[in-house]
Amino acid sequence: MITPKENKSLLEREPRFDDSYCSMQAIPKIPKSQLKETRILVSYARRFNDEVIRPLALKTDLKSFQDPEYLPWDLIQKVNEWGFYTLFIPKIFGGQGWAFTSLNYVIEELASACVGIANVVFVHYLGFVTMLGSWNISVINKVCREVKEGERTGNPCLISLAITEPGAGTDVEEVELVDRGRVTCFAEKVKGGYIVNGNKIFISMGHVSTWHALVAYTDLKKPSENTLMLAVKNGMKGFSFGKHEDKMGQRACPASELIFQDCFVPDENVLVDSRTVPPSQLRETGELVNQIIHYVVEASRPAVGAFGTGVARGAYEQALKFAGETAVDGKLLINHEWAQIMLAEMYKNVIAGRLAYCEANFSNSLKGGIFSFLQIKPVYYYMKYVPQAVIDIFIVPFYKTKLFNWFMRQVFVEGQSLEAQKRCSGWASIAKFMGTDMGMKNSQMAIEMMGQAGLRHEQGCEKILRDSKLLQIYEGTNQLNRLNLFNCLIARCIPQARVFEEE
Amino acid sequence: MLTTVKCELKSFEDLARSFAAKELAANREENDRYPFGPFFDSVVTKAHEVGLLSATLPEECGGIGQDVGALCIILDHISAVDASLSGIIFTNALSQEIMLAAGNKDLLAGIMGKAADAKAALIACPSFANPSETGTTLTAVKVKDNYIINGAIEYVVLGGISGHALVPARIKGQEGYSFFLIDPADKGLNRSEPVFSLGLHSCPAVDLNMAGVVGTLIGQEGEGARYFDHAADRMHSAVAAMQCGIMKGSFNEALDYSQQRFQGGKEIINWSGLRMLLGQMAVQVKIAEMVLSEAAMAVENQEPQWNLYSRAASVHLSELACKLTTDGIQCLGGNGYMKDYGQEKRFRDAKHVQAFLGLAPMRKLGMIKSIVNG
Repeated sequence: MITPKENKSLLEREPRFDDSYCSMQAIPKIPKSQLKETRILVSYARRFNDEVIRPLALKTDLKSFQDPEYLPWDLIQKVNEWGFYTLFIPKIFGGQGWAFTSLNYVIEELASACVGIANVVFVHYLGFVTMLGSWNISVINKVCREVKEGERTGNPCLISLAITEPGAGTDVEEVELVDRGRVTCFAEKVKGGYIVNGNKIFISMGHVSTWHALVAYTDLKKPSENTLMLAVKNGMKGFSFGKHEDKMGQRACPASELIFQDCFVPDENVLVDSRTVPPSQLRETGELVNQIIHYVVEASRPAVGAFGTGVARGAYEQALKFAGETAVDGKLLINHEWAQIMLAEMYKNVIAGRLAYCEANFSNSLKGGIFSFLQIKPVYYYMKYVPQAVIDIFIVPFYKTKLFNWFMRQVFVEGQSLEAQKRCSGWASIAKFMGTDMGMKNSQMAIEMMGQAGLRHEQGCEKILRDSKLLQIYEGTNQLNRLNLFNCLIARCIPQARVFEEE
Repeated sequence: MLTTVKCELKSFEDLARSFAAKELAANREENDRYPFGPFFDSVVTKAHEVGLLSATLPEECGGIGQDVGALCIILDHISAVDASLSGIIFTNALSQEIMLAAGNKDLLAGIMGKAADAKAALIACPSFANPSETGTTLTAVKVKDNYIINGAIEYVVLGGISGHALVPARIKGQEGYSFFLIDPADKGLNRSEPVFSLGLHSCPAVDLNMAGVVGTLIGQEGEGARYFDHAADRMHSAVAAMQCGIMKGSFNEALDYSQQRFQGGKEIINWSGLRMLLGQMAVQVKIAEMVLSEAAMAVENQEPQWNLYSRAASVHLSELACKLTTDGIQCLGGNGYMKDYGQEKRFRDAKHVQAFLGLAPMRKLGMIKSIVNG
């Protein structure tokens, strides 16, 4: 019917088949027991919602208004006890090693009960994934083992990501913008390490984390090629916390200021220095930094999409419950046809958000995606069934060897084609703005349906609206994510297209 | 725009604008901390002194005797800075309008005449509820010249601070409901702490429990819905005015910020994506000004279908305001989400104001009912 050559050429036309049907390509390759894992994790998340999040969500929010200095230590302790901080850390780093691909489903569950508390749980994984993006296995292993130890001893050890600066929000998310931005976090090379000066702001969970994946720059005039990622630990001389922000919502999860004044960070804590990254056949230095950033956002943005989907679901569930209990104009609201249509629309919004983050998840499972290596069946089953002690004896000692690091680099740096990077990053952006826009839409609709009752704090719906808005802002504003989508998957259709170059 | 159509309103515009700048702007963030911070008593007192709380009250009742246009001008300019005070002005005016619709001028004159301070002059009411939609659980029984009220009512705005409260109750054995004026200090009345809510933090509401509270009938028995509908039709244009003001405040803040904030090497206003967002906001603000002006004048002039114009204005501007204030935060990025700027408050306030006078979707259904029934 059609020759292979013709077939290839037709499928490479836009929309490219390989970029458009990620789930269809990924699902046959996924190990079967991963579905079982996801089922178990979703049910575990639902129990956590019932026993921890729902009883505490409104109380915690209220507490944060009564005491602006409130930090969620009580919650963190509970999350730690439930094992959430090591749940998705691979066994090779001492974690429980549950499939990372299940993360977003768990996020949606928790966010449907309280997205602020869901952030208390999962911002830690943003820090972890950022460290992972450096593929510096030795440092990641050191940090993750402390997280594990924190779980064992009952002294939670969390990881945060410190990237945003007072003068640079969107700019630090895009290599193409950062050289024109006003970044100030400067790292100067000295004997045995770096001296860091500068401030970071809006750092989620900053005050309550122990380790911080800090992005600094060794040359402020050309930060794109002089990016440094450091693992900074509390207590390092010259590192302190400033204020934490008075936010509209997600108040369970603090947004912190991190201050670095002549802070010495030893060489052994360098996650990656773009100037010393070995040359790549595919990418120049700036593009390698871009790849690291995109590895992080490929995982984090679908997760934010899942947060948004959870919020959309929480709002829908509140509205549904209210409609089933409240009489309007002499009959239950649920029996008004207009309300049924409105609820159906909200239900659809949840599904739309979920489909988008699922597809982004599947894109990440395809070749070149952040999950692809762990989804190779022999690797997956080895990680799943080989005892921790065996991994510690036979794999961990190799982390500092050149061969091991060369191998990781081949898999994750050279192994990711530019096309795969664009597919994953593009889908991540779609998932992010789709899910979070749905969250905002549903939280607005729920309050409209509930009227006066929806305004009251104890009903929970007004909190959902307040919480929801932040999702459209962090991990790149939804505007930036639209531009990233254009850059990754649309601009290639028109050779004259230029992004971020507007005069 | 309203002042262009009706020049004599200019003095109210100047008054509201200077009052907002002098009394509200500096402490907006602090005032918004209520009920976890102090209530802005001094602001309410000053608002009372300059007549902001009695713009539409007839002169013979101790008011300024203006029509809805003046109220809209005031709410518009106050809301641009802090809509909480607008919520107070609105709720008080709604109570007054219901009482005027019922022909209770003397009662109003008495309240104003005896009021020793601003709070004593305030009349609380459940300004977010349309009792015809949700019903009322309060019941009233006539005992000699008065009525005894029992039951519970939620979300009575200003109920914790006012000298009087207006509540809907069903007289036993009758259809419909009636309005009653009660004394919040009545021994049979038990009120909750201020209900912590989405927006308008300094315009507090409380839940009331009544056991044998003495009430004075407003107008005639069973006519509550008629009084409410008439008052609400007039006050919908006031809702539109609040939303118009909130929109202007959000737009102006976004415009200022975008000319100061640098990203990608230039002021963010010079990125056309953001400029387009601002452009949409500007269009919405101008539409809001037009709609408000037309609606207020339709009410004042009692034009045919004036009530439909008023309701349509409130529905439409509420939807626009909720959309615009979301973008208003977005223009400021992370800063817009923090309480240091006014944007997050405007976002909450717009959604809160949308809920005034009953469920927003029911208002649209009500429009069709009015059109079909003539």
